Amino acid sequence: MEIPFIVNARKDTGLFNSKVGIWLFLASEVTLFGGLFSGYLFLRLYADYPWPERALPVLPGLINTFVLIGSSVTVVFAWAALKMREWRKFQIYMAITLACAGLFMVLKGIEYNAKFGHQAVRIQGGGPVQDNAIVEGHLHYAKLVDGEMVEVTKEEKEEMSDEDKEDVFTANKILVKASEFTFVLTRPSHEAYVKALLEQAGESKITLAEKYSVIDVEELNAGEMNRDQLTNSKAALVAGKGEELSIDLLDKLEDAYLDARSHDRKIRTQFLAASWDWVRNEKGEEEASTYIVEKDIWKERRSEDAEKLKVLTLRAPSEVTFKVDPPFTLVLDPSDLVKKVNVGDKDAKLRDDTLVSGEVLPSPMIMGVDALDFRTTALRAEAEGLDPLPVIEGTWLLTHKGHHDDHAEGEDDRNEFKKIWECHLEWLRARAEYLDEKSDRKGLEGADRLVPTDNDRYRVNWDQILAYQGLGYDLKKVYDESKAGTLKRTGLFDINGFAGANHKTPDTDNPDLHFPHLEIPRANVGFESSFTPKWNTYYAIYFTITGLHGLHVIGGALVLGYYLFFGRKMYESNPEWLANRVEVGGLFWHFVDLVWIFLFPILYLM
Amino acid sequence: MAGSIEEIKKAKKLYLVIGGFLFLGTILTVAVASVEALDFGAHGFDKWDAIIGFSIAGVKASLVMLIFMHLNHERPLIYFFYILGLVMAFFCMWLIGWSKSDPIQFGNETYSDGFYDLSKPATDVHGHGVEEE
Repeated sequence: MEIPFIVNARKDTGLFNSKVGIWLFLASEVTLFGGLFSGYLFLRLYADYPWPERALPVLPGLINTFVLIGSSVTVVFAWAALKMREWRKFQIYMAITLACAGLFMVLKGIEYNAKFGHQAVRIQGGGPVQDNAIVEGHLHYAKLVDGEMVEVTKEEKEEMSDEDKEDVFTANKILVKASEFTFVLTRPSHEAYVKALLEQAGESKITLAEKYSVIDVEELNAGEMNRDQLTNSKAALVAGKGEELSIDLLDKLEDAYLDARSHDRKIRTQFLAASWDWVRNEKGEEEASTYIVEKDIWKERRSEDAEKLKVLTLRAPSEVTFKVDPPFTLVLDPSDLVKKVNVGDKDAKLRDDTLVSGEVLPSPMIMGVDALDFRTTALRAEAEGLDPLPVIEGTWLLTHKGHHDDHAEGEDDRNEFKKIWECHLEWLRARAEYLDEKSDRKGLEGADRLVPTDNDRYRVNWDQILAYQGLGYDLKKVYDESKAGTLKRTGLFDINGFAGANHKTPDTDNPDLHFPHLEIPRANVGFESSFTPKWNTYYAIYFTITGLHGLHVIGGALVLGYYLFFGRKMYESNPEWLANRVEVGGLFWHFVDLVWIFLFPILYLM
Repeated sequence: MAGSIEEIKKAKKLYLVIGGFLFLGTILTVAVASVEALDFGAHGFDKWDAIIGFSIAGVKASLVMLIFMHLNHERPLIYFFYILGLVMAFFCMWLIGWSKSDPIQFGNETYSDGFYDLSKPATDVHGHGVEEE
């Protein structure tokens, strides 16, 4: 059958059919992305936290913009080449378009990867606003030595053998000295945890603390033994005391428990039905339906039932406890736990409801810090009617005794973050003066005068940290260089900061520079996450829109690639049809470019 | 659309010029956002930066649509589809703006920066006190 209107226009629309189709589709795409942009607008207007303005490194986004614009030109050239029946040129232009799509996705991948590996944490402390200072950086590594957490530097890790490397974990784990595990048998999903526990147990033995028995139904019905005898009978034994933990054993216990439970449920239902029949006989059909009014008679009957049920049901224990000998240190991911724990807590609950008893050991989060952000602290302080600066200076981050800061008496006892902050205030002073002079020059008065933004005031970026450090935290030098505009900060096109702070080599020119070491006790770790949708609504909408846009890039590239690699036959038989197809595919490609034209300024620059 | 070889040859030059404009527009957007001397309005990001940023993006988008997507000479049906989509999209955004002017306040009074007033007890929509957990 011949498909109509693939080359020639329909009379009523004046268009070939696929063009009508693609425009209808694009109209729906406009509403889809319109909705997502509205979502962005909503999240930003109603954000109850300082919106991360210009939080993304601009360069990858800028290159991607060029790449997409370039591919928009080449795709329309490819179409023109087909129109002019130049197959070779079509191939070249289309291949460039596809290469651009590939490059776009590679850059996107680099950007995503940098976000997934970048850690943020909101520090919880005392004071009027509970700190709420945010630090960003890269997690360091650690391993267990004699059951305690010991930091492993990057250099040490690199020198390790592959086997030793397996024992190294990122320094954001909860350590629990485990002496007992209590599994809940109603949750048949222990497998992953049991595997992990057994793997970590090493020499320690995890054994059943008490025997687990479920009364045998036949023995119960025979009615010859009392409950104690029933429980202790041979037929009741499911697993004996001292049996070693395994997935099979837990499965067996779970099966026994669930069988017993369904037996009990059946009996209970029978009793309920019987009681209901009894009420109906006793009170008559009509009155029985209002039995709630006659609560007493129903209650009485049900309590009699309960007495009988005590004898007739199996009531298998729903929890089973395993002892650990000798206790070992269990390394858990914070997300493995149902709720936050503190050092010294006697138990921790896993997400499958398993209770780990023992003691929570010191489990600090260790990281190399590449940004300090006090904007939330400042906002909360202002909301409380307080001056933000003293509140910031009283935060745990600026007052704690640093990891490597063992000072003799009378010496400089400031931690590195305090030094950074003091330098930052000098930078800010120079900045404010510069803006003042600029305001004077422009003759701005009152509210129009230029002042530093909250971002300037309360956020210290990674390039600033390195710049201050490069000057040895010398306040005068920082002020002078800031004033002269020669403070060395990473610019837009510095490859070191291509996808944000690079934790491997902060500055290739100056290998002495380092991102300050921070060890946050577990009690001070508030909300923490990598830069994923979990961290805030900005990253949620960023990943949603750019992810969907990326899928459009892939989809568009697949279609255009099909024309390039499988279009030759159609070109020879009906070149105009192929040209029309490429035009339609090109329209979609332009739309993808169009979305990015708005996404780039919104997500990267505003 | 350009049917003859001559027309397409002419159009190709136009595509290149438009591509050049799009590159320039992108550079301008980044310059306005990052070069101190081109920072309009208050220091840092404010409504003027948003207006300028969206204006440039709007011009760029229009060029793509008019030239690359051939909307400068298209059949009425296409304009109908396209405008329908656009109206829906802007309706969504208008709804967000509209919700901002909603006189009903939920819970506590808020500060201009969106933070709840912590010093006042929490209230429900009717202004009655609510127990905090």
